[in-house]
Amino acid sequence: MKNSAPKVFEEVEHTADAALRVYGQNWGDLLANAALGMFSVVADWEDVQPLTERKVSLQAMDGETLLVDWLSELLYLHEMEDVVYISFEILSASPNGLRAIVKGTEKWSPRTAIKAVTFNDLRIEKTPEGYAATIVFDT
Amino acid sequence: MIEKRDIKRIGKYLYEIPTTHRDDMRVSARIYADEQLLEAALSDRSIKQLVNTTTLPGVVKYTLAMPDIHQGYGFPIGGVAATKPPDGVISPGGIGYDINCGVRVLASRIEREALAPYVEDLLQAMYHLVPTGLGKGGIKIARRDLDRVLEQGAAWAVGKGYGTKEDLARTEARGCMAAADATKVSQRAKDRGFRQLGSLGSGNHFLEIDEVTEVYDDEVAEIFGLQQGFIAVQIHCGSRGLGHQVCSDYVRLLQKAVRKYEIELPDRELVCAPFESPEGQDYFAAMAASANFAWTNRQVIAHWVRRAFEEALAGKIPSWRLTQVYDVAHNIGKVEHYTMDGKRTRLVIHRKGATRAFGPSSKELPKVYRDVGQPVLVPGSMGTASYVLVGTDRALDLTFGSTCHGAGRVMSRTRAKKTIWGEDLMRQLRQQGIAVKAGSMAGLAEEAPQAYKDVARVVDVVVGVGIARKVAKLTPIGVIKG
Repeated sequence: MKNSAPKVFEEVEHTADAALRVYGQNWGDLLANAALGMFSVVADWEDVQPLTERKVSLQAMDGETLLVDWLSELLYLHEMEDVVYISFEILSASPNGLRAIVKGTEKWSPRTAIKAVTFNDLRIEKTPEGYAATIVFDT
Repeated sequence: MIEKRDIKRIGKYLYEIPTTHRDDMRVSARIYADEQLLEAALSDRSIKQLVNTTTLPGVVKYTLAMPDIHQGYGFPIGGVAATKPPDGVISPGGIGYDINCGVRVLASRIEREALAPYVEDLLQAMYHLVPTGLGKGGIKIARRDLDRVLEQGAAWAVGKGYGTKEDLARTEARGCMAAADATKVSQRAKDRGFRQLGSLGSGNHFLEIDEVTEVYDDEVAEIFGLQQGFIAVQIHCGSRGLGHQVCSDYVRLLQKAVRKYEIELPDRELVCAPFESPEGQDYFAAMAASANFAWTNRQVIAHWVRRAFEEALAGKIPSWRLTQVYDVAHNIGKVEHYTMDGKRTRLVIHRKGATRAFGPSSKELPKVYRDVGQPVLVPGSMGTASYVLVGTDRALDLTFGSTCHGAGRVMSRTRAKKTIWGEDLMRQLRQQGIAVKAGSMAGLAEEAPQAYKDVARVVDVVVGVGIARKVAKLTPIGVIKG
């Protein structure tokens, strides 16, 4: 079954790796959409009730670092637990920190494995609709 | 965007972007390519990324792109940069997340015709014994043994019965960088690596059964153990989650070092620290530990491949023994010595998607290869061919002892998946006589031969320049994709 993600991110052409353009009306949105986008690259999943739940709390020196740390944290959990995270409740978010509850499923099939989240040309931009960023992943 | 008019042709296969191109360039950028490969490089951001590497503090001579250059993150893939300590920097982005991603080639005395009836059985045995895919598999080791792996490298595996001392002699750096310090590797990285030792992973990593279909240099091929019509095996993988985590950790830590040492960079992925600084030394020790993990990983995988040959072929083929040709790293940072202005100079060499290609004058080579140079292993895409080359002294003069590492991508994974169906590709490969096992059809489509440059063209350039010589061509007959 295909992912039923809303159009809050899009894949961008990248010769060797994977890249996503992600959007959000606010900080929390941007972080949640980036996470959903990343897992849409990584996996297909069944439309099931998420089972595994984790709390994530992070602090960072700036917004770009927070975005990379957040996605890296989720990749780490994914690899260690064999879980694909598909629901992201952002409890609080700013460029310097976030608290979130994430939920995931163990029923998934692989698409493109991501090795790491990079800082390559990463800049979070303020747009009329909120925020946007292009993230490059090492695959 | 860099255009062709910004680039000067200075040799048959050599192009240069002079320091006048951008104010922040400290040295020029050089590209080894023919016209078609240069056009391919200009179609994405790879040349801009190459120019960005010329801004690194302490960079010397020029930064280099090999003919398989393509867009990466920070550095381009196929990039080489040398910096001069103490002020010269080390940059994790110039080595990559998959630290010591590399290739090992094993040779056999099994003839293609003799193996033909058993290829499927052999592939199945290899697939069964070597874990593939995300986070999966690996041998069971004690926690304290992981630190030994990180500091002893492939010798740890040989000590445990995974392979022979002869394998170590035929591995770059004998499978161990002495600078490794396990205490500089985070607990999180160790947690990821702990259960992954001896596993292939996914993405572009593979195991391949090949036939030696051409020999270009009989004498050198014989020294390497390769003979036309006989079977060889390639193992392509790296340091798994451990290396990815080490690179992520230090890219994050060095964001602060860049501020501390007041280094200005055109891309945050190029974060770095002076090599002799505490931050630079910590990263180098952790990177070396990750490189040791990768060599151990390929050593253990080679052991399982040998076991698979035994399981599938015992009693059917007289000798299934596999000898190691060599094992090379193509994502790594090394301290090496080169002659600059007539003086022996200590440099930090970043190879990101580039292979060391030392010629016969190098004292680092094992006795068996000292008269000819080191084997250089250049995997092609599935369904085409791979090459075994030999390093040259000219590479020491021109390219900091480096050459190409593969075919180089030309099509994005997204486009490959949109235009190629994994199932169709598998059928096509079977029609060509190539058996395939893959964890995912989408993953297989991403690695389709059409997504890569022509590896023969890439090899022709490095041979034309003289930074490697052709020894043998390997043609696939069975592939396992991670």
